[in-house]
Amino acid sequence: MSEVIVITSGKGGVGKTTTTANVGTGLAKMDQKVVLIDTDIGLRNLDVVMGLENRIVYNLVDVVEGNCRIKQALIKDKRYPNLYLLPSAQTRDKTAVNPEQMIKLIDELREEFDYILLDCPAGIEQGFKNAIAAADRALIVTTPEVSAIRDADRIIGLLEANDIRNADLIVNRIRMDMVESGNMMSMDDVVEILAIDLLGAVPDDESVVIATNQGEPCVGDSSLAGQAYMNICRRVMGEEVPFLDLKIKDGFFGKLKKLFK
Amino acid sequence: MKQQAVVIKSNRYGITLFLNRDLPFQELLEAIGEKFRTPSDFFQNARMALALEGRKLSQEEQMEIIRVIEENSTLEILCILEQDALKESFMKRIVEDRQSERDSSNGRFYKGTLRSGQVLESETSIIILGDVNPGATIVSKGNVVVLGNLKGIVHAGAAGNENSFVAALNMAPMQIRIADAIGCSPEEAPYTRKNSRKGPMIAYSEGGSIYLEPITKKVINDIRI
Repeated sequence: MSEVIVITSGKGGVGKTTTTANVGTGLAKMDQKVVLIDTDIGLRNLDVVMGLENRIVYNLVDVVEGNCRIKQALIKDKRYPNLYLLPSAQTRDKTAVNPEQMIKLIDELREEFDYILLDCPAGIEQGFKNAIAAADRALIVTTPEVSAIRDADRIIGLLEANDIRNADLIVNRIRMDMVESGNMMSMDDVVEILAIDLLGAVPDDESVVIATNQGEPCVGDSSLAGQAYMNICRRVMGEEVPFLDLKIKDGFFGKLKKLFK
Repeated sequence: MKQQAVVIKSNRYGITLFLNRDLPFQELLEAIGEKFRTPSDFFQNARMALALEGRKLSQEEQMEIIRVIEENSTLEILCILEQDALKESFMKRIVEDRQSERDSSNGRFYKGTLRSGQVLESETSIIILGDVNPGATIVSKGNVVVLGNLKGIVHAGAAGNENSFVAALNMAPMQIRIADAIGCSPEEAPYTRKNSRKGPMIAYSEGGSIYLEPITKKVINDIRI
């Protein structure tokens, strides 16, 4: 049975696209057949993060408008043969697609794939409505900042209004050193406000930036963020995985510095 | 031509009886009973204010008239108006005040978290089983009780009832309004762990200001429902 998951946040820049790329790649790593759909029409970037930019011929709008078959528009990933990307159009805007068309498109893909991940655009307008139209469940990405949490709260309300009640939380870019010093909200603080289940927390890790720039998702590598993403993937598949300790090891000099504080 | 014993005039909120000056009181009562028996369907179960004109009546006689009206119809008379106060607007105010008092002592429950952008409106008092997040709004004509975190905006007594109150297990609202009074929370960083726990508190309005106090027996004794 296939599952359609929308990755959304309300606010921009919190890591929806990065999360989509990493979770999608991680699921493919675990031998799931996965397709990533970039619904951010006009501002496409999932293909860049995935490093598949130069292979695009057809896109989402072409499929919806009947200019090509779905198979033609799907781009096979260069690392995992069971991972596909359906890129969005760069030259059009959100009004080029409506929710009914998205439902029809995704219903066709359901037969072929185990997981269909939708990278949602920021905002709550047409693009958001398109992205959530066919979703079974949602991953809410937020950072531990008041503005991102406020928007995530609004998004959860809108999802509930659209009968998507299976929403889980990913707290992105958390910095445990700042949490400990009391300058940043912890995962628990965020969960207390949003009152939904926590699926995982991803530390603010430079390896994510490096990986993104290289078009190579960091999921599953030895970095803390890579491990965190891998755990999230396993939890998406229903596994019980204990939460990582996200504290960065101090090393000798760090410990020395702490001693003198 | 013989003058009629009773003439009824009505508006939306009340009825006025023009009474014959010369008839003996008992005959007048019978005439009133007669009048109200026939159109009783017309005034079904209404609550109204009553005004009497054309005759000076003692307190007992007024009560007699009310008794006769209520016996012969399904009307409920809320009050008798003095003749010089005879205005529809006045009748209206009395009926509506009574109505909103009734409503605020009734209540309903809402279970779930109210999120940013969501607005909950209620004609009666409301009890929330859950949190009210920042950016969410509750508007109630009665009282508001939140069994959870109150971090949004609450307007109690929205129809003008200044005796309404707002209570919450954890009181950290953006804004509280009671009737026409508005209170903003003091400027603080809204999300640091220090002030996210405020504990159970109750807010009430007095002289156009809103007061927040921990829920104690003394405060509860002063609350009027």
